[in-house]
Amino acid sequence: MLKIDNLHARIGDTEILKGLSLELGAGEVHAIMGPNGSGKSTLASILAGRDDYEVTEGSITFDGVDLLELDATERAVAGIFLAFQYPVEIPGVSNINFLRTALNSIREQREEAPLSGKDFLAKVKACAQLVELDGKLRDRSVNEGFSGGEKKRNEVFQMAMLEPKLAVLDETDSGLDIDALRIVAHGVNSMRGADRSFLVITHYQRLLDHIVPDFVHVLAGGRIVHSGGKELALELEEKGYDWIVDAQPTEQA
Amino acid sequence: MSEVATPTQHAALAARVSDACRSAGMVGAPYPGAVAALDTLGYPTTRQERWRYTRVTRLLDVSPTAAAPHTAPPAVVSGLDALRFTFVAGQFVGGDTLDEGANGCFVGPVSVALARYPERLEAWSHSDFATKEWFAALQAAAPQDGVCILVPAGHKLERPVLAHHHMPAGVHVAQPRHLIHIGDNASAEAVLWSDTTAQSEGMMNAAITAAIGDGAHLSLEVVQDEPGTVHHMGHHHFTQGSNSKLTVRTATACAHWLRNDLHILQDGTHADSTFHGCYLPNGQQFVDHHTRIDHAHPDGQSDELYKGLAADKSTAVFNGKIMVHKDAQRIEAYQRNSNLLLGEQAAMYAKPELEIYADDVRCSHGCTTGQFDKEALFYLRSRGMTETAANNLLVQAFLAEVLDGFRPEIRDYVHSVYARRLGWS
Ligand SMILES: Nc1ncnc2c1ncn2[C@@H]1O[C@H](COP(=O)(O)OP(=O)(O)OP(=O)(O)O)[C@@H](O)[C@H]1O
Ligand SMILES: [Mg+2]
Repeated sequence: MLKIDNLHARIGDTEILKGLSLELGAGEVHAIMGPNGSGKSTLASILAGRDDYEVTEGSITFDGVDLLELDATERAVAGIFLAFQYPVEIPGVSNINFLRTALNSIREQREEAPLSGKDFLAKVKACAQLVELDGKLRDRSVNEGFSGGEKKRNEVFQMAMLEPKLAVLDETDSGLDIDALRIVAHGVNSMRGADRSFLVITHYQRLLDHIVPDFVHVLAGGRIVHSGGKELALELEEKGYDWIVDAQPTEQA
Repeated sequence: MSEVATPTQHAALAARVSDACRSAGMVGAPYPGAVAALDTLGYPTTRQERWRYTRVTRLLDVSPTAAAPHTAPPAVVSGLDALRFTFVAGQFVGGDTLDEGANGCFVGPVSVALARYPERLEAWSHSDFATKEWFAALQAAAPQDGVCILVPAGHKLERPVLAHHHMPAGVHVAQPRHLIHIGDNASAEAVLWSDTTAQSEGMMNAAITAAIGDGAHLSLEVVQDEPGTVHHMGHHHFTQGSNSKLTVRTATACAHWLRNDLHILQDGTHADSTFHGCYLPNGQQFVDHHTRIDHAHPDGQSDELYKGLAADKSTAVFNGKIMVHKDAQRIEAYQRNSNLLLGEQAAMYAKPELEIYADDVRCSHGCTTGQFDKEALFYLRSRGMTETAANNLLVQAFLAEVLDGFRPEIRDYVHSVYARRLGWS
């Protein structure tokens, strides 16, 4: 469903992704781990359509469509969702109004009828329950004054509301306490299905105990340098990244 | 760059405007002090701090054609239940006067009030502006019809008043004068709406003068919705007695070129003033809000909030002066002005001015000008909102603090004008 081929991307003069290739099948869960600054969030942002990055080479196809031709809105309509590493605070826009606008905007672009007020609220209730999101947070301004953990929960809540085909979770586990981690993982697991894929970016093997991935990849220096099964996460936890990164051929100048 | 008008140029403008107003119909006599002030004051120039960003030389070319046809424009915010009065280019064209007699409420055109109750208007109906500002003097030298609201002491005006002033197509000048007197412990609510057609040109030089008695309460919403190329000068003057409460909200929904001077004088102790405003020029538009509050007596409060966006190549100006007089102790004065720039060529000049001559005063002000939050925009779009929907939501959120204070009908209307003008609806 997602095929990234030899992706090169930069911001200004800094090259960040340097030939990244990755393939995700429908219904699969892939985890990406890797050192700080290796380009994980960059990859996530590019998938979601942030236009600060310039793709200089390579391609991304999603369900057969050239993703790079779509803008951020169109990608969401196509079914891509990014849970942000740093969710944005939007004062003055209530969470609920925000979600209603987003959901109906997507439906309109898909030429579906808008959700009735009743159906919308029922859905809000179900999804909030799924991640045990405090009712008060629904009525507050989007992420404004939310704790780190509340923000992450809110991201998963939005994911549940929007029911994407591909969900990219960028360090959704960081900042979560142990209970919250379990709850969020439960939310994700209950959304797993044959038509939905996940790309889970994390630094901690712990999350992968709860969300068990089909594949684990190591992103370093802007490329996937190693891939394996779920047991790779354990190995990384134990040994760090050096043994993989050092084994890479040095870059040509 | 400063621009100076030659005396003959602005004298000629004054003559043209006064002639046009006189032939279309004035209300009452020219205010004597104003006529003299037109000579002595001199035309504003960009060399003066108060007019630094406001090029009034462009008004020197205004040359009105014959009086406008007096056909009533379509009603505004038709869902709003109100005592409605309509004016076209300074002339009364419709509305049912409420007249409860010499000791009761009066709501109707100034022309009728002057005919029936001249003595009720005498003492307070001209503001300082008329002798201190050239354009206000021009207005007072040839005043035209507007709404007159007289609420005697102890009365409460049950229904809100909606005065709608319309500028028809063509080159016209209008100098409406709205008069509001709220007696001691009385109260009223009003909406003063001015609009134009897209083919309207010329000048709208309007005055609002309100006197609010001791313990009285006035809530006023001012809406300026003026497509076309009319130049709008607003002189909004409020005097408050002790323990009175004034709320005035100004929404500049659309203006080609607009300068508003709002002045509140707290002329008694424990007065409370709230004045909020919003504006959103785009294209080449110019919007200038100058405000001034005089805390002349102790224990007063004021809450000022102006928010706006400047898009494209437009210019917005905000100047807010807080003057706390000697012996006006225990004043609490708050002022906040926030602006967003929506284009690299948009300009925003914002200036708070605080002059405080009392020592026991709580005064705070904040003034910010920023860019549209790109992170927020990306976040919203990544959730499937179109750029239009996302922009709309962000602008709505930004202006909500000000717009939510208006009646819902007005809030929604003004927001829809903003959305349409920016191509977001
Ligand atoms: N907007 C930007 N401007 C300049 N450099 C950037 C920008 N965004 C990312 N970078 C750089 O690109 C590199 C990759 O950043 P990215 O955020 O993708 O890393 P990451 O793998 O997500 O790291 P972390 O594990 O710390 O979240 C870093 O060196 C970062 O400084
Ligand atoms: Mg990151």
